[in-house]
Formats: sequence, C-alpha cells, structure tokens
Amino acid sequence: MSLNQVWEAASASPYTPLIAKDSQFSVGFTLLLLALILTGLFGLNRSFLSIATFGIPASLAFGFGAVYMICAVGVYV
Amino acid sequence: MRPFAVVSALCGLVLSSSSIVSAQSTAAPLPADFKPPQVFKNVNLVRNTNLEKGYARETINVVVENVDKDPQSEYYLSFPSEVFDRVGGLEVRNKKEAEKGRLDVEAVEIDSLSDVRYLIAHLPEPLAPSSQITLGISYSLLNSLHPRPAAIEQSDRQFLTYSFSAYVPSAYQTVTQKTKVKFPSTNVPNYTATNLKTGEDPERQGSTYTYGPYDTTKVAPGTTHPITVRYEFTKPLITASLLERDLEVSHWGGNLATEERYWLRNNGSTLLNHFSRVDWTVANYQQSPSSAIRELKYPLKPGSVDPYFIDDIGNVSTSRYRPSKGNREANLDFKPRYPIFGGWNYSFRLGWNNELASFLRRAVHGADSYVLKVPFLEGPKMAEGLQYEKVVVRVILPEGARNVQYETVEGPSSNGLPSADQFVAEFSSHKTFMDTLGRTTLTLTVESLTDEARDSHLVVTYDYTLFDALRKPVTITLGLFSVFAAIWVVGNIDVSIKKR
Repeated sequence: MSLNQVWEAASASPYTPLIAKDSQFSVGFTLLLLALILTGLFGLNRSFLSIATFGIPASLAFGFGAVYMICAVGVYV
Repeated sequence: MRPFAVVSALCGLVLSSSSIVSAQSTAAPLPADFKPPQVFKNVNLVRNTNLEKGYARETINVVVENVDKDPQSEYYLSFPSEVFDRVGGLEVRNKKEAEKGRLDVEAVEIDSLSDVRYLIAHLPEPLAPSSQITLGISYSLLNSLHPRPAAIEQSDRQFLTYSFSAYVPSAYQTVTQKTKVKFPSTNVPNYTATNLKTGEDPERQGSTYTYGPYDTTKVAPGTTHPITVRYEFTKPLITASLLERDLEVSHWGGNLATEERYWLRNNGSTLLNHFSRVDWTVANYQQSPSSAIRELKYPLKPGSVDPYFIDDIGNVSTSRYRPSKGNREANLDFKPRYPIFGGWNYSFRLGWNNELASFLRRAVHGADSYVLKVPFLEGPKMAEGLQYEKVVVRVILPEGARNVQYETVEGPSSNGLPSADQFVAEFSSHKTFMDTLGRTTLTLTVESLTDEARDSHLVVTYDYTLFDALRKPVTITLGLFSVFAAIWVVGNIDVSIKKR
C-alpha cells in the first residue's frame, strides 16, 4: 500500500487539534492567570497541603497555559 | 500510483545520529570507451525542445525495436558529459502505459574522461526480439541558455543562444529522427541551417522550427552535428542556486508553518553601463519588457495566513498579499528590494501558516499514526519559469515522532521530480522552542529542479503517541512543581538562632 493510498484512505479523519487556533489565546491566558492566582495562594501558606491543593494545579495550569500561549503568539510548538 | 521511495527510521525517544539514505549506483566504473550493447534500434525518434522558459525542456518520443535474438530490458540513454550534470527531472515512461508510472532509471558509472555519460532505463518487462515499445523521455536542461550579447543596455532586448546537435544523442542506431524547437516568439535572428536533408532545413512555422526528418540509417550512433539558435527572450533567467524549504508541523497549535529561503540569481545579460534609476522608472511606468526580475508572483494554497517577506536587512514592504476566498488560491506578489539584472543576486525568505487539518490526517491502520501530505515544492509561478540548482526540503515533525516514512506522489503524467535515487534523505533532530529532545526532522535534498515540480507532493507518515504530545506541558509542569517543592523545602528549614 503506497503512502498516498494511506492518505486517501484517511480522508474521513482530518487532524483537529484539541483547541482551535482562534481560542488558543483565551485558553492560554486563562490558564496562565489561574496559575498566577494559585501560585499566590500557595505563597500565602507554604505547607505540604498547599503543594497538593495549589502547587500541583498551578504547575499543570502553567504547563498547558504556556504551550497554548506560545502557539497563540505565533510560535507554533 | 506506485511507491518508489520508502525509507523508514526508528527514531525512538532519543534520536540517533543522522543517517544518510541514498541509493547510489553500485556498479564498478566502466572504461571511457564503453559502448552499450547494440541490441536496440530507434525506429523513429521525435525530439521536442521547448525554449519558452528560462531553461530548455526536452521531450523525446522514440519507437524502440529489439534487434537482438534475446529479450532485452536495459535501454541506455546517452548524454554528452558536459550536459549530464545539468539534466533535471529526468523521467522515462512507456508511452502506451503512461499511467503505470515511470521506468526505473539508473546512472552508469563511467570513467570521468568519457565524452558520453549513460543512464539505463529498465523496461517494465523484457522486450521480445523484433517487437517495439514507445518510450517518452522528458527532462530539463538547467543553465543551458546563454545570453548573446552577454552585456546589454538596461532597456535593450535580450537574446539567448541554445546549442544542440541535429542528431539526437543516442546509444543506438536511429532510422529517422527530427527535432522540433519551440521558441518563445517569432523573433529568431540567427539559426544554423543544414544540408542534412533535401529542401529547407529547418522548416519554419510560426515560432516552431523543425530540423529534419533525417534518414540516419547510415549515421553512426553518437555522431553530432552542432546547431545553434539565437532568439529573443526579454525576460529574466531566474535561477535559485539554493532553495531551503522548511515545513514545520505543530500538533498543539494545529498549524503547518512554511518557510522558504531563496538565493536567487539572474542568468541573463549583464548591464553594459551603470544602472539608471530614471530609465528603470520609465520602463516600469511603460511596463516594457525587461531582462530584470521586477516582481515575483507566488500563488499560495487556500487558507494561507500570516505571510512575511524579509531579507538580510529586514522586512521588505514591497509585497501585496491577497488572501484566498473559498477554495481559490491566495496570491503573494512581491517585489525584491531592487530589480535583479543579469549577474545580480538576491537572497530573501518567505513564510506563511496554514491550518494543519488540510495537510494532516489520522491514518486508519493505527491509532497513533498520522499521514501528512504537503507540496514538495511551491515557488513563484512565472511565465519565464524558474530553475533550482539545489533544493533542500526539511519536514520538521513534532518532537517524539517515529517510524517516519516518506514518498513522493506519482501521477499519470510527469511530476517534474527525478527518480527516487536522486533524493538524498537524512533524519536528524531539530531543537527549537520548548523542546527537550528535539523534533524529528526529515531532510530531502535534490539537485537540478525546475518549476515543473510545482505541483509535486510529498507524503510522510509517522507515529506520534499521546505520551509524546504531553512531553512539552509535562516538562514545564514538572519545572514549576519543582520550584514549589523547593520553596516548601527551603521554608521548612529551621534557621532560627535559638536553643534546640
């Protein structure tokens, strides 16, 4: 099977990203803002419980937010 | 449709060092006086030479007969050695079964002192004795047109010369042959007339000159009869000495980013005197033909956005972009920073973005397999054509993509690309923003292409799992988390001065 036939066979499943280009900025911005707020909350009480309740969500929000924000500004990673 | 180039590389989580994959002829070099076995005869040969563009395009249709006692399958093509390196996009097809694709063509290694170089076209099945096959051989000859006079005034008309042999170079005896030369206009001030046949030679009809038909039964193969034609071509001879083309796939962004870097040159007549800005402005105002590159028109795929045109100095503002409406092509018309006259160079870069959905699909056979179909070459679309001495296409896949396979798409007619063994493929890792391992990169290098290859496509398949996709955000997440953890640990260290 040639690769072009693989392409033809896959005509029903074009790739769609999780977040469309138009909403990358809003998603990225929201997540980064959330990360900032959660980081602030962690800063108020730097306990082990705070790492679990604020640190982990803040890290996740920053991780995904940074990826969407860099895409939103035109550096498609 | 037949796959002719499938190269795969297990890239793994960590890419190994780059591996060059290229099919080279393995035969030992033949002596300079090598003559192919005379097992075929060219019953009838018609060569069409098209000089309408900035390079010569030749199409040879030849009826070949097996004159040997045994079935034969190796047809030798011969080229003068000074031309051989400039042959681009060579393709041989069986004219009666053109839809079955091109024949395999392999270069014959021969002593470098030889005047003639050979290629072997492998017939799909051995040709029985006394039976015939019609072959269609097409190729472009780069840098084959020379301006005469070599230097002209700025507003002068430009004339080019093209030299060839009245007898088509062939490894076999040819019974009858003729050459049709198509000029861009009827203004052909000089051409060689011959007495190789009775009556007028060449026969002229509009802008087409026909040399022959000649009865060459008694002419030995390899005999030449030089012909030179000189004709008007007041257009630039646009040559890209190098084109680097990057196609960057982003799954997170849903984007295909294209960037092209050109090193352009005009092979036309050089200027006899200094460049005159006044003459140039007048010529522009009158829209009179010029041998300088004034403007390039670049049709882009529908949906192309964010185009840019920059050179070494910075943004070049003399460009106009008309975005596509519906399924129509978008148009990027751009003027170089200065007109490019004969012998002048200009290098610049162009780039734009596309939605990835039009180019990437999820393969049916595997949940994590993707298939990407992108144009191999785009480039400006100009009436005078473009020749590319070297093209380097780099497909930058997402970080962690593996099992990469590629293939160029073959159609019922020529796609302007050479055969698979002319491609040099290399897999490497390209590190850029937010990368930890580097992105899997497929680099394809081809020499001697023309704008005939504009519509050619490249299909790439690769595997890319969710784990690979999550590498970027997870890395950043872990980075920030370690900062939190460090703050907590540092905050818990008791540094107070008190009795313990």
